[in-house]
Formats: sequence, structure tokens, C-alpha cells
Amino acid sequence: MNNKNQSPLKKLLGIRGMGAALTAFAGLIIIYIAFGLINPAVFSGQNILNLLRSMSKYLLIGIAQSYILITGNIDLSIGTMVGMSAMISATLMTHGIHPLFAILVALLACLATGVANGYLVGKFKLPPFIATLGTMFVTRGIAYMVNGNRNTDAIATGVGKETADKFQNFFYYGKTLGVYNTFWIAILVFILFFFILSKTRTGRHIYAIGSNIDAAKLSGVNVVGTTIKAYMVSSMCSWLVGLILCAQAGMGNMEAGNMYEMYGVAAGVIGGVSPLGGTGILLGTLAGAAVWQTLENGLNMIGAQVGIQRLVIGIIVVGAVLLEVVVRSGQFGKKKKG
Amino acid sequence: MNEVIVSMKNITKIFPGVKALDSVNFELRSGEVMALLGENGAGKSTLMKILSGVYTRDGGTMEIFGKEYGDLTPKQAQQAGVAIIHQELNMCRHLSVAENMFLGRELRGKFSLDNAKMEAEAKRILDDLKINIDPRQTVGDLPVSKQQMVEIAKALSINAKILIMDEPTSALTAREIDDLFRIIRKLKAEGHGIVYISHRLEELAHIVDRVTIMRDGQYITSGNFADMTMDQIIANMVGREIKEKFPRVECKKGKKVFEVKNLNAGKMVRDISFSVYEGEIVGFAGLMGAGRTETTRAIFGVDPKESGEIYVDGKQVKITCPMDAIKNGVVLAPEDRKKDGLCTKLSIRQNLALPNLDWICNKLGVVSSSKEDRLCEKAVQDLRIKTPNVEIDSGNLSGGNQQKVVVGKWLARDSRVVIFDEPTRGIDVGAKVEIYNLMNQLKKQGIAVMFVSSEMPEVMGIADRIIVMCDGRITGEVMAKETTQSEILTLATTFEDKKIGSK
Repeated sequence: MNNKNQSPLKKLLGIRGMGAALTAFAGLIIIYIAFGLINPAVFSGQNILNLLRSMSKYLLIGIAQSYILITGNIDLSIGTMVGMSAMISATLMTHGIHPLFAILVALLACLATGVANGYLVGKFKLPPFIATLGTMFVTRGIAYMVNGNRNTDAIATGVGKETADKFQNFFYYGKTLGVYNTFWIAILVFILFFFILSKTRTGRHIYAIGSNIDAAKLSGVNVVGTTIKAYMVSSMCSWLVGLILCAQAGMGNMEAGNMYEMYGVAAGVIGGVSPLGGTGILLGTLAGAAVWQTLENGLNMIGAQVGIQRLVIGIIVVGAVLLEVVVRSGQFGKKKKG
Repeated sequence: MNEVIVSMKNITKIFPGVKALDSVNFELRSGEVMALLGENGAGKSTLMKILSGVYTRDGGTMEIFGKEYGDLTPKQAQQAGVAIIHQELNMCRHLSVAENMFLGRELRGKFSLDNAKMEAEAKRILDDLKINIDPRQTVGDLPVSKQQMVEIAKALSINAKILIMDEPTSALTAREIDDLFRIIRKLKAEGHGIVYISHRLEELAHIVDRVTIMRDGQYITSGNFADMTMDQIIANMVGREIKEKFPRVECKKGKKVFEVKNLNAGKMVRDISFSVYEGEIVGFAGLMGAGRTETTRAIFGVDPKESGEIYVDGKQVKITCPMDAIKNGVVLAPEDRKKDGLCTKLSIRQNLALPNLDWICNKLGVVSSSKEDRLCEKAVQDLRIKTPNVEIDSGNLSGGNQQKVVVGKWLARDSRVVIFDEPTRGIDVGAKVEIYNLMNQLKKQGIAVMFVSSEMPEVMGIADRIIVMCDGRITGEVMAKETTQSEILTLATTFEDKKIGSK
């Protein structure tokens, strides 16, 4: 009970999961400076803006997957919900339907998927890998079907150039206070879900079921409801990324969001979110998404090929977890006594 | 016979920040059962982990069969003849008995594994121990007691001469314990050295030759069991005299608080009716598997009920899930704290707050950290949870302190009925008394206390009234002060028909 007298720094470090998050931030700074020394253009203002914008997608995806990982589950349908969101909203817009209404329909489709995932996993105890594998195929199928198995035309052909520009600027090309809107959207969403996870009852319940589902249940936690909520968060974030991709391309691409669920796992895991559930904080996910994007951006800037990029990222993901495992096993020895 | 086979001198082990062992001496002779005693956190497990090569020591010398060992690896320990029978059994549940026994050293035929040979060998070892288990059976299908025997057989099959048993009886029934003791006596006669760790001091007399007592990482004393009294042993373990092993407070019996009528839930909960009054603790006695845990789970809404009515303060309540129970003032501290009680990866704070989030959160569901601080502070003080702060992972606490967290999270709310299911299992004497005091405190506050326990002296010492169950039914009700152990045991073995066994 002596944490009241602790210095603020010590208190900050005492927050669970903060260690891993700060490690990821430290890694981020090292990576960024290393790339900048090779190619100073990495430090340029425009590159920083680009970096912040492209990072935003991974941050949103990372939040989506982190919520699920912390409950001890996984969501394989994130990337395909992204595609479904992009395709539904783009298709509706090419038919002249107002963007507001179009994205609302996409949101409903994504939420329905999230609820289905949560219900299958929470209520029927399906292994999350299987349940979301199913919804993954279903949602990708829907993404293909909505426009008759082809990508959509430019959304401007339906809603007109002015409305299309408004939509695209809002989600991708426009800036507020000198920074791309995409980043502001992601940060607002981050703050909201960070708050929910760390400060609210729902957040506590998410950690509890990820740590010990039986104990959580016996403590009066509504396991089914909480699982559904987590999957709904995941589907909402996926929906937003779908809109961002749609705005970026100005059309709907059936393959949009391909593999994003795995990028989400990577962002979370680099930032210290355990795939076994119960541990990790979204600040870590923020760092993880930034590491991921800085690597991609930096490797690009120094002219590395796509193959090299993938390879390096793969090594970083495993390395990050390996580091955590090694550190944790050290602590195990320290604290266990008997 | 009776030569020294293990000699550990001045063993020191330092974990960052904690001196877990401080020059501890330990000696084991062949053909004896050595009880290693001490409270939770005394360093017994750490010492045994050093002997079995799991931890490396920071100081001291260690000889096994006269051979000096430096840094011992688990593999070397195994070759030297050391085997641990774990408290939490370490078996591959989906594999067969024989497969488990030969795991990692499977016998090979010409092209594939020689299953027949392995099964025959497993059978020979099991028969030798007079254990009736088919080596082809899947381990997960066996009862815990049989699994434990398979583990012992496995240890013997790799030629273990030094067997470390960590709380071997904690999950066994009286009959199974007899079986286990028979095997231990046989091993002893064959010259094996056995280290026996247990919190159930009553059972030592049946089996133990010598004792070594530890406290707070230090060696206290050792000697022949026959030369010591139980009070001496306890005083050495705790470091102070425990005045009353079972403190009892007298309260006036008040009005009826809790009533269960004709509760049915599956085979193990059949037509259960009872009530609990203000100012009394009602004990639930019975053998393992008598349906007591199932009854608590059905009441609390974890398992579905088929029929039955539940009344709190005279009002009928409907409980279909734990949330309903909690809202109606009925709470449960479950039996298996690792599985059902504690989120081990979360902090003490988060565990204590978990069932109380309804009142420490505001309308929007935001946690009030000041209310939470107060709750944690109070719980740590009232229950004397030994921890530097509440941000520590609850999984890192000792068993007794973990149990205090499990209990503590329920005491912060205004409950009317508190159900304790085996609250003292696997915790040390000092912590046990603290748990008893807590129950007494609740009793004084007029809260109905249900106390399920398999340890007869404890139920008789703490409860006012005892309900005995057998085979899913209530078979009797006695007043604690007027009854005897044999009366309870008779009631606890009143089976409906003979096919379930026992006399």
C-alpha cells in the first residue's frame, strides 16, 4: 500500500504491461534513428506525416486484435471485415447513396459479424480460431458478392466528385492542424478504447476472462456479454480501416485488408500483448503499430525489396516475443518461492 | 539400510530481493520417511527444487548417495535417483498409463515403438505395487488418486531411490490415503528414501519416521518424530505458540437468513434442504465426492439447477448465474483457487476489485481508483495479506495469501450468505487460524456462513452445526459439540446402495 509515496516515474513503471510497451517505444526510436542515419529523408516532415498516416491503419487493426488477444482469443476475420466494409460502402456510393448512409450499412454488417464471433466463442465455446475462420470466409465472400465479384468503379461516379472528395478527404487526404485526418481518427479511437480497457468495468472484465475464465465467471463476470463486446470493438475498428482504405483508393477493392488480422497480432505482440490472454496494454499496441510501420517505411526508404521487408518484420515479431519470454522466465525464478 | 543418501549442508538460495533459503541443512536416510514441515513460504519447495535440479543453489554443498554435485540439472538429478511426485500432477491426460510411464524414453522395436513391451513392463511395476490399473487406460479418465499412483510407478520405473511427495494426500479420500500409505510403507521397506511434505499434521503419525522443520527460509530443527509432540512441531513451524487451533466464538442464534428447499442438480445434488441462521456457522462434512462442492456450485448458479427454491432473509430469490447470486447477497469462495478463484496473471488489486466493480464504478462504468484503493487497503489490513503492495501478480503469492485474496474479494460487499468451500486446503497452520477468525467475524456480524470442509477436526472445531452429505444427499445433521468423529463418519458413509463401494 506504499504506492502513494512512490515517485511518479516508479508508479508509471509499476503499471502492468508498461515495461513491454516502453521497450517497444525504445525499439521504435532506435529503428527510426537508424533508418534516418542511412537515409536522412526519413526525418523529413512529409515522411513523418506519411508515417503517421500509414501507421494509423495498423494502430486501429492492432487495437482490434489486442482486445481479442487480451480475452485469450483471436479474431481471424479482421482483415476480411475490412474488405467487407470497404466493398459495401464503396458499392453503395457508386450507386449514388450518400456516404453517411453507406458507411452506416457497412458498420451494421461489421457489428453483426462481431456479435456472431462473440456469440460463437463466448456462448457456444467454439475455439476462436475455428469460429472466426468461418466468419473470415463468410465476410470475404460477402466482399466479393456485393459488387458481383469485381472491384467497384470510382465512388465519384455514383455520388459525384464533390461528395466523393469530401469523403476521401475526411478519412484520408485531408489534414487538421497540419496532420492527416486518418491519424486523428486513429488517435481518438485509441484514446477511447485505451480508456475503456484500463479504466472501466468492461475493461477489467476483459482482462479477467483472459486471465482465468472460470474465476471470472465465479466472480460474477458476464463472460458471454464481455466476449461479444470485445469482438464488437474488433469489428468497429475493422470497419473504420475499411473506410480508410476505401477513401484512399476512391473505390472498393475486394482484396482490401488482406492479412490485416495477422498485422494486428504482430502490432499487439510487439507491444507486449500476450496471445495467451490477460496481459498487455494498448500503449504497447500503439508502439507495436509504430514499430511495424517505421520498419516498412524505413526499409522502403533505403530501397529494400518487399521480400526483405517481410523477412525483417517476421524476425522482429518473433524476437519481441522471445525477449518477453526470456525476461519473464527470469522473473519467474525471482518471485516463486515456496 | 539407514545410510545417509542425501546430505544438503548450508544451502543458500537467493532470488532477486529475497533470501529464499538461508544455510539450510537437510539429510535423508534410506528406508525412512522424512517429513519436511513448514508454513507456506518457508522454503520447502525451493529446497526440494534444488534437490531435483530445477533450481541451482547459490551456496552450500549437496551429496546424493555420497557423490558430491555442483550445479545439478534435472536430468542429472533423475539419473541420481531423485523423483518428485507433484502436488499438481504432471501427466499427459490424453495418453495412456504406459505411454506416460515411458514418456521420453520409449522402448523401440525394429521399426516402430514396442507397445507390447512397454505395456508389459508398466503392468509389472503396477502389479508389484499392487495397484490395479490397466496400462492401456487413458490417464485423464482415471481418478486423481490413481493418477498419483501412476506417477509413483513412473518414478519407480526410472529407478528412483529418492521420492519427494509434495502434499500427496490433499486430493485423496480416506480410503485412498490408506492405499497410498501402504505403498509408501512398501517403498520404505525396500530401502527408498521418501521426503514427505504435508500440511495435514494429523496424518504424520501414520507414516513418518523423522521430521525436518523450516521457517522463513531457515532450518529450525530436525529429529525423530516419536520424540516430538504435535505442539512442539507446530510451535517450531509457526515460531510462536498457537493458542487455539480452532478458535470459537459464541453467538446467539438469531433469525433464519438462508434457506434452501429441495434443491436438485444432477446426480450429485439430490433433494438438498437446509437453512442457516444468524450467528452460526454451518459445516458441511462428508467424503470427497459426496456432492458438497456440487451443492455450493448449484446454489451459486455456476451449474444449472433442475429444481429447488432458495430464500435469503425470507424472500425467495432466483439464481441462474453467479451474477444473480452476488446481487442477492450470496457469495462463494470456491474450492480450487488456482482454477476457479484467482486470476493469477492479474494483480491483487484487480482480483480484489473484480466482483466489486458494480459499486466501485460510477454510472458510466468507470472505475473509481480512490474507492478501489480503500477497498484494497482494507482487505490487506483486515486479512493480513503479506505483500509489499497490491500491484503484485496474485499468482506470485504463497498459497495462504492467495486464499486470503480469494476470500477478501467477497468481504468488501454487504453479503448475507458466505459459502466457503475447503478454504484451508493446502495452507499453513497460521493462515488457517486467520481464515477461521474471519469466519467467526462474519458469524458475529450476523452473516450466514456455510463451511464445506473434508477435514473432520476443523469442521468440528469451527462449525456450530454440521450437515453431513453422502452420495449427493444429506444423510444427517448434528450439533458440533455433541457429536463424535465416528458419528459423522458413519453418516458420511451411509450409501443408498452398495455398488458405489466403501463400507
